[in-house]
Parts: sequence; structure tokens; C-alpha cells
Amino acid sequence: MASMRTILILAAILLLLVAVPPFLGIAWQNALVNVLIASLFALAFNLLIGQAGLLSFGHAAYFGIGAFAALHLMIAVEDGFDFPTPLLPVAGAAAGLLVGIVAGYFATMRSGVYFALVTLAIAELFHSLAPHLQGVFGGESGVSSMRMPWQGIVFGSIIEVYYLTLGWVLICGLALWTYTRTPFGRLTLALRDNEQRVRFLGYDAHAAKVIVFAISAMFSGVAGALLAISNETANYSLFATDVSAQVVLQTFVGGSTVFFGPVVGAAAFTLFSFLVSDLTRSWVFYQGLIFVLVMLFAPTGIGGVVQFHARHRRQLDRSRLAGPYALALLGGLLIAGGVVYLTETVAVLFGQGYAVRMRDAVDGLPNYDLFGISWNPVSILTWLLPLVLVAVGGVILVRARRSIAGFWDRVGRSDGPVETKAAAPGGPA
Amino acid sequence: MSATRTELPALHLAGVTKSFGPIEVIQGVDLDIRPGERHAVIGPNGAGKSTLFNLISGMFPPSSGEILLDGQGITGLSPHRINRAGLARSFQITNIFHRLSVFENLRIGVLARHGVRYGLFRPISRMRRVNEETAEVLERVGLRARGEDLAGDLTYSEQRALEIGMTLTTGADVILLDEPTAGMSREETAEAVELIRSVTQGKTLLMVEHDMSVVFSLCDRVSVLVYGSILATDTPERISANREVQEAYLGEEAS
Repeated sequence: MASMRTILILAAILLLLVAVPPFLGIAWQNALVNVLIASLFALAFNLLIGQAGLLSFGHAAYFGIGAFAALHLMIAVEDGFDFPTPLLPVAGAAAGLLVGIVAGYFATMRSGVYFALVTLAIAELFHSLAPHLQGVFGGESGVSSMRMPWQGIVFGSIIEVYYLTLGWVLICGLALWTYTRTPFGRLTLALRDNEQRVRFLGYDAHAAKVIVFAISAMFSGVAGALLAISNETANYSLFATDVSAQVVLQTFVGGSTVFFGPVVGAAAFTLFSFLVSDLTRSWVFYQGLIFVLVMLFAPTGIGGVVQFHARHRRQLDRSRLAGPYALALLGGLLIAGGVVYLTETVAVLFGQGYAVRMRDAVDGLPNYDLFGISWNPVSILTWLLPLVLVAVGGVILVRARRSIAGFWDRVGRSDGPVETKAAAPGGPA
Repeated sequence: MSATRTELPALHLAGVTKSFGPIEVIQGVDLDIRPGERHAVIGPNGAGKSTLFNLISGMFPPSSGEILLDGQGITGLSPHRINRAGLARSFQITNIFHRLSVFENLRIGVLARHGVRYGLFRPISRMRRVNEETAEVLERVGLRARGEDLAGDLTYSEQRALEIGMTLTTGADVILLDEPTAGMSREETAEAVELIRSVTQGKTLLMVEHDMSVVFSLCDRVSVLVYGSILATDTPERISANREVQEAYLGEEAS
């Protein structure tokens, strides 16, 4: 049950979410709208992988369907249909639910890899059909509409969209959390653990999986609808594989075993792309790298690591852990510095601009600029620096990890926060 | 004995066969289980005991033949329909929800009996009857102290007790236990026998069992399954005295 402490933390986060955005610039407000939408999408997605143990590789389908449904309703409103603008996401929910029932019926006939492949195929079906369906998906250019004023609210500024999104995401997040407390929510966990036994206890496991799938698709549809309201347009690229993949990455980095883990992952990735995509074109590579590292060294995700420390806060000896944790951070930063330096250097040296300069250069390879410094590509120092950074960082990190693991071993928690054993992804214990 | 003979059997199998490809694993089984009796199926490895259980409980449909539960046809129905008709089974290999608490493992079945299978609009913590009944089953299988622990963290014999508890939760009158004492020590087996005796009071029990001492102390009748057909059905005493059975099974065991 929720403790006083949890309630206070949630209240503080809520207060920040409500009070801070008006003082931010439009770019930040927009980024926060995207954070909220990605969070809801990831929560809806995690209902399948985290709780039912079903890994969908095609959740873009239901996200996209929700967006198009909302846009068609917006067009109808533009044409004079009387419908309150704040309730537009209902269209996304309904469309997501309906498509989810049909798609889920087929996808959940199988489990594991086959389930993942069927969901992937269904999303690809939408992705390849949508450009050809002018009426429903607006062909290649997509569907566009305008937010209409309602009851004196203009919905012209981003902050209005932000509050609308916040309201919907909070309500849906609460609904998804409540779901885990219902009999069906508990059955969902049982399905993840042992579908066969569920059947022999008198449940129609297929029907149950269809319902879980449809609910997940419904909330994904709401997230899609919120994006449509924010962007006022959508096209077939919403069904693309990278939309499906993104939610998988976010959920796992955030931690699928913790209810709010996916929110952490969604927020981290969305803000990361917002902050870093202007600085470097390699940001997708960094994202992938982060995902691989989290899966290898903290398979329960950020949420899992946080939950581990919260659970064992009594054994948490700050005076003895602060040192190793700070060392680990330092090692991580050094390695990150070395990797970023190498990546950016490679990006520059193999980029088009440098190719032109190389052609025009009189003798040898010309110097290049990075981080405000001019580097010589054939100097040993240029290549020694990142290698030293990575090597020193690596040594520090390995030592820090050893003493952290040693600490948790001594207090009897061999399943420390940073694991070396592979742990299966799964739902909350 | 003759009085019960006229009674409608709790479970009735007539000419049940099952083939996997060209191999006929079950070759025409006829079997009547009387209401309220404890009945064991014994037989050498590979005789088809588990297959027979799988046919009765709906894991897969028989190739031919008929299965009646309290006179009602259940042949080839899906497992959840057979369960709802009043038959529950346990598994030879422990088949529980490892990452749920022991209490929750049992509650899933209790919920099914209460018909709130797909309940989405009420928190489970407010379902007093369901939670009380779950606690009752927890108590009966002797796991009250472990209720909050993860089922995967239980000892082997505790998991076997949970396995039995789960078959009780859906309120079925006919219970199938597949080797409930397999892999247990002597003391654990004795405890398990007492547990099975007490929890199947007033129910019909059909069990696969290798341990003849368990069969003797628990069961009213025994059927011997050899190469997919029933060799004999009788009281444990007369079965152990049966020449044919000794040759086919018990003798082999003794050698």
C-alpha cells in the first residue's frame, strides 16, 4: 500500500508538473508534452510486457490508430460537429480498443517469439497500407486538422495543450495503476507466470490475453490521440518500426518490472533527444549504446535499480557506499567522455565537410575542430586521449563495482543493484 | 459394494484412445470412478498414466471414446470448461505461479470459483469473501506462515502442498493428482498423505502414484495401467495379490 512518503513524493511531482511549465519557454513546454505522451504510451505498452509477459514489437499500430481517429474527430468538429475538444482522446481510446480486440485476437493465439512477430507484422501492415488509403490515413501526406476552441478555452497555445495532455496522462496512469489492484490485474500476472495453469484453474486464457491486449491498445490509442491534438497532423510514419522500437527501448531502460519504470525511461529518452539531437547527429547511436549498457549491467532498468535501493534502504550504509558510488560515477563519466570524443571524431573525419577539406588540402590531413579545440588527426595525442579516458574510467568502474557488489554481498543481498547475472525481464514481484 | 454400483459414476471413461502419430498411447480405456472414492492409477513408466490424466483434464482431446463427469459429457472440451464443470487437477512437475505470493497463487483459483474471472472494476482487497476463503485454503494446506512469500521461494514439499491447494480452490468435486508425493522424503510423504486425506474428504480423488505404501494407506481402489490399457481394477489388497499385475508391474518393481 502507498505509504505517506510515497504520497508526498507523488504530490511534489504533481505540483511541479502543474506549477512549473507556465514559466518555461515554448520549446520546453513542447518537450514536456512529448514526455507526457511517451510516458503514457510506455505505461500502456508495459501492461503487456511487464504484467502479462507479452513482448509486442508493433505497438505503433495502436498509437497511430489513436492519432488518426482523433484527427478525424477534429475534422468533424471543424465541420461543425459539436464535441468538446478536451474529450477528443476518447476517439483514440475507442479506436485503439477496437483495433486492439481484433489484432489481439490473432496475436495472442501464440506466445513468445511468435506473438512478437505477429504484432510486428500487424504494425507493418498498417505502415504499408496507410500511404495508399487516401480516405482514412490521408495517403502519404497524412491527415491534418485544427484544434477548435471550446467553452472559452482557445487551445491555441502549447501550455493549454500541455494541461490537457497532463490531465489525460494522469487519469490514464491512475487507471492503469488501479488495474493492477483488480482481480483481472492479478490474473494478468498469473498469465505471465504460467498460462497453462491459468487454463486449468477455469480461465479462458486466450480471452484473458485478448482483453489485456485490447486495454493496452486502448491506452496506446489515447497517447496517440494526444500527439495528434498536439501536432494537429499525423501521417503513416506513425506506424513505422522505429515508433514501435522506441517504446520497447524506453520501457526496458526505465525498467519493466517497476510500475513507474517506463515513465522514467520515456522521460529520459524524450528529454535526451530534445537536448542532444541539436548538438550531435550521433544521438541515436548514443541512445542505442545506453540501451545496450543498461540491458547488460542493470537489466531491471533504472526503475529496478531505484526500487532495489528503496527496498533495502535500511541496509543502505551511506558512509560506506558514497565513496564507491561516486567512484563509479567518475569512471562512467570518463568512459562516456572517451566514447563521445571518439564518436564525434569519427563523425567529423568521415563526414562530407571533412572530405571536401581533405581534397583541397595541400599536404596531409588537415586539422579539425571539436569541442572548441583544433585537433591533428595524425597526432598520437589525438587518439591517446580517448583511449586513456576509457581505460582509466574502466579500471575505476571495475573497482567501484567490485566494492559495491562486495557491500551488498556482506549485507546478504547478492542480487545487488548492478547485476552481472542475466535477469529475465518481467513484471513487478 | 453392490449398492454403489448402481450409482452414477463421478467419472466415466468408455473406450478412450489416444494416438500420437502411429503410436497408440492409450488403447481403449474403460474406467468408472465412484463418487467419493479415492482411486489410484498405477503402472510402469510409459504406461500412459499422465497421458490419461491429460485426456481427462482437457490438455488434449482423445482420439476416440467418451468421458463423462457426473454423467455430463466433457470429451474434448478445453481445460477451463472442464474445470468449470467440476474437475481440477494438479501436475506431476510443479506448475505454480513462481513470481506471485503463495496467497495470490491460491486466490487466482478462488476468484475463478466466485465467477469474478475478469473483474476490472473493484479492487481485489475489498473482496472479503474471496480473501477469507483463500486464507482458509492456505491454512488447510499448512502454508499460513508462508502466505506472503513468493511461491518460487518455497521448499519443494511446500510447493507440492501449494500445488494441491490450488486444485482445491476452484471448488471442484473431482480432484486429479498427478504423482503428488514424487521426489519426497519418507516424512514428507507421510505428511502429504495426511494432507491429501484431509483435503479430499467428501470429494472424489483420482491419483497417479508410484509409492505403493501411499496407495495402500490412502486409496479405496486401484487401477493398473499397462501399455495404454487397464489390466485390472480392484482393492489395493487384491491388486497386490493379482498374479497378472505382479508379472506386469509389481514383479518388475521388486526385481
